[in-house]
Amino acid sequence: MKRRQILLGAGAATVLQGAWNEAMAQGKEVVIGALYPMSGPSAQVGIDARQAFETALEVINNVSPLDLPTAKNAGLARLGGAKVRVVYADHQADPQKGRAEAERLITQENVCAIVGCYHSSVSTTVSATCERYGVPFVCADSSSPTLSAQGLKFFFRTAAHDEMFSQAMFDFMDALKARGQKIGSVGLFYEDTIFGSDSAKVQRKLAAERGYRIACDIKYRNNSPSLTAEVQQIKNANPDVLMPSSYTTDTILLAKTMAELGYRPPNIVAQAAGFVEKPALDAVGDKLVGMISRASFSEDMGEKRPSAKAVNASFKARAGRDLNDQTSRQFSALMVLADAIDRAGTVEPGKIREALAATDIPGDKTIMPWARVKFDAHGQNTFASPVLIQWNKAKFVTVYPFEVATAKVVWPMNG
Amino acid sequence: MSTMPIVSNFGASPAPSGGPPTQAASDAVRGFGDRRRRQLVIALAIFVLAALSPLFVQNAYLRNVIVLTLMYAALAQAWNILGGYCGQISLGHALYFGVGAYATSKAYVGFGLLPWFGMLGGGLLAAALAVLVGYGCFRLKGHYFSIATIVIAEMGLLIAHNWEWLGAASGIQWPFGADSWATLQFARDKTPYIHFALGLLALTWFICWLIEDSRWGYWWRAVKDNADAAESLGVTVLSSKLAAAAISAFLTAVGGGFYAAFVSYVDPDSVLHFRFSLLIVLPVVLGGIGTLWGPMLGAAILIPLTEFSRSYMGGSGSGLDLMIYGALVMAVALLKPEGLVRLLPAWPWRRKAVAP
Amino acid sequence: MTAAALSQVLASGLLMGLIYGMIAVGLSLIFGLMDVVNFAHGEFMMLAMYATFGCFVFFHIDPVLALPLVAALMFIFGASVYAGVVRHALRVKVNAGMVQIFATFGLATLMQGAVQFFFTPDYRNIGDSSWLGGKTLELGGIFMPWPQLFGAAVSLIAFGGLFLLMKHTDFGRALEATREDKGAVALVGIDSNRVFALGWGLGAALVGVAGAVLSTFYYIHPQVGAAFGTIAYITVALGGFGSVFGAFAAGIVVGLVEALTAVVLPPAMKSMGIYVLYLAVIFLRPQGLFGRL
Repeated sequence: MKRRQILLGAGAATVLQGAWNEAMAQGKEVVIGALYPMSGPSAQVGIDARQAFETALEVINNVSPLDLPTAKNAGLARLGGAKVRVVYADHQADPQKGRAEAERLITQENVCAIVGCYHSSVSTTVSATCERYGVPFVCADSSSPTLSAQGLKFFFRTAAHDEMFSQAMFDFMDALKARGQKIGSVGLFYEDTIFGSDSAKVQRKLAAERGYRIACDIKYRNNSPSLTAEVQQIKNANPDVLMPSSYTTDTILLAKTMAELGYRPPNIVAQAAGFVEKPALDAVGDKLVGMISRASFSEDMGEKRPSAKAVNASFKARAGRDLNDQTSRQFSALMVLADAIDRAGTVEPGKIREALAATDIPGDKTIMPWARVKFDAHGQNTFASPVLIQWNKAKFVTVYPFEVATAKVVWPMNG
Repeated sequence: MSTMPIVSNFGASPAPSGGPPTQAASDAVRGFGDRRRRQLVIALAIFVLAALSPLFVQNAYLRNVIVLTLMYAALAQAWNILGGYCGQISLGHALYFGVGAYATSKAYVGFGLLPWFGMLGGGLLAAALAVLVGYGCFRLKGHYFSIATIVIAEMGLLIAHNWEWLGAASGIQWPFGADSWATLQFARDKTPYIHFALGLLALTWFICWLIEDSRWGYWWRAVKDNADAAESLGVTVLSSKLAAAAISAFLTAVGGGFYAAFVSYVDPDSVLHFRFSLLIVLPVVLGGIGTLWGPMLGAAILIPLTEFSRSYMGGSGSGLDLMIYGALVMAVALLKPEGLVRLLPAWPWRRKAVAP
Repeated sequence: MTAAALSQVLASGLLMGLIYGMIAVGLSLIFGLMDVVNFAHGEFMMLAMYATFGCFVFFHIDPVLALPLVAALMFIFGASVYAGVVRHALRVKVNAGMVQIFATFGLATLMQGAVQFFFTPDYRNIGDSSWLGGKTLELGGIFMPWPQLFGAAVSLIAFGGLFLLMKHTDFGRALEATREDKGAVALVGIDSNRVFALGWGLGAALVGVAGAVLSTFYYIHPQVGAAFGTIAYITVALGGFGSVFGAFAAGIVVGLVEALTAVVLPPAMKSMGIYVLYLAVIFLRPQGLFGRL
């Protein structure tokens, strides 16, 4: 029994190896898989991600004047100018489907790496699958800290995780306190999937460590028909800083309900997600003026990162909206991956993994506020320094860290 | 006594009443025995073919589709015991599925117990739950019963979402391990999963085969066909219905435990969601409720269709795959209400109709 | 929790409950008439929300004015669904209940896909530029948003109108008679097909009104029906299948219970109150609060 399985496994490996060799021989195309929700409640995320990747492909596959890795020549130089192609698959926010699609991309589409997956739950199974097949998984936008704590060899996360993000928020509040602001209590308000609960877990810990009272700790059911009772509880607790972790639907509902109940929180420091999504800002942006969110990106990044403006313009032409927290991370993940494949000089996944592990891109060669891109032993980019951005009704401006700020923070948020 | 059930035709048409046993009836008895034997032979042939499928299908993705198809066929057949033969339309089987998945994961990851024990424990737990639910809800009629099952399953989902001991929203992730039948972990190889799911399917199928010719089967069909019979049998039938619920829940939970081992990860939305309750019932409805072959046929058509439409059309995000899927479900439900099993040639798949 | 905060929760629960009630009445009407559970009911509502959104964005018709128009469109849609789908499902003799569930489930999936195809899966919103948008009435420290007050008023008017219609018109009597005995009405010359089609139209129009109201203060999305659909089934069963009044009353109860549960339990568990209530009621009265056995 055992021997037969080993033989079968070896057989599959030979078939795969053959496919890669074949792809190499053609030398024309490098195929990368992208796994996103393309139907269901988060379908728009997948559709936007597609535009972000296409924007990145335009830079990678054409001669581009931008100062980004792989931009200078058409295609990947060390693979004889091979063009990169992204194959998209739909995981419908289901971990099992994500895993099955990852296997399909690896065994049928012969992708040499996978990018994804937005939902942390899906990234969990996809990263495990990639590990088993020895194919690099570049996690663009799932921020659950547990993902990089599993000791996977083929897992790489270019952006920050929730712990880094939340740390920045508390650093920011500490800095404000040092400048004489009075901040005594925080209010946690988070949705009940892995994103919200993980985010709250870290914030609870940090609040205790740094001496902030937790005025309310409210976990709510996502996609609820109403949030009135929840908002009523926040209103009663009246924390100095409200720290919400919500997806788009709940962000819209939360902002509306707060306005309806005549509640204006003194300050909001949000865990991005819904709070930086265009549909939410279109709907309730006027109710959120002064709201601060953690971010990987902001539109005023153009001041510090010359390429950001051009990339944003190119994305906007495709998607009809500006780059945001999600799409900027997706764009950057693909750029980092393409650079690694180029340096590997092959589409053999093991070599790409090595190249990824050796990545060292200075921050000014990205469109992000990151200090650099360099992965630690867990595949986490520890230099993915987050920023805090403030919504001033028309756009977001960077307010923290103070060294990179483009505007002075308005605190309390209602002026 | 023994001639009574033979004339009933899937509970579809009322049984002809009265009349002395005739020559036709005793011929039918002989034909009945032959048919039962033939069913076994055909099932065996199908199962052997499925067991050998990894020899013909090398591709991991397609093998994955085979695993899912076999698993849903087994789950659908398990649901059929309660919903089809017994007529209790449960729309909350996700609860039993989730109980099995969580029990197996918690036992393995939390306590180091092999998944086999977890499945057994989860199965027994689910069976106990099903008896409890059945005891409370079997007297509810029609939709009141179905909605009660939905509500109870939704309560399970809410509890799992908020129970830290079970990982709450983060779920439970299985650690990496060497390929082994003991832990049911196989990194790349899908063949063992195909064989496990097939074993479960064969077991549920065989139980249904036994039920069709058992006293329970006769009672339930009689209750379905004849309201007066239901009155007089009502009391006697309750215990057999509870047993059916327990068996159905047990098998569903074993399926859940298998799914957890197969995916190596559980979280509330991926095993306890209402969507699962529908996914379990759908193959039965498409294939044919209360039939021996319907659930298998339904799963064999529906699951590959779902998978392929997502894989090859879902990537566009246009919603076209949903439209096609929805339209097909609707069309089959309306055009072949008895299920697709009716498309198969009468012999040997279906019960022979006896001329009155 | 202070008395003021509690009255706020009760007021909000009541306003939401009246909307739940209106959604449930539409479902109850269809069910009472022909024993069919419409699993696409939430999607009917979703369609009405998109229709209201379309009127607002493309023709600049305010949701308040668009309401009768949306109701009329949904009436036509409901009647066509009956003629195109449900009529065939009713002819089915075997597994009738399951066929209806899955035919309408298929329809629901089809509608979600179609809306995603035409409107993209992006979140839509009518926003505060509509007449009622973003305005709130404050009464002694209790905040009641105008869109929801308007919704509550519309809900009461719609239900009152339905009640009069069923009690005092020929159509209402035909509806009642068809519901009592399908065979007998055919003998007195009522075309049951026509009555059923009108019933479906009416049920869809009612949930259409609810959708139009909801779109003034809720986001619009292809999946938005799901959350409300499930609550609607439970509400109808709680009130008792076949009782239109029961569905309406149960809607209000559900709204209140949901709001109060969120005060007692962690808000993430607030649906628990509705579930426990349903099971408690159904164990004591297997036919629901106002149902006939």
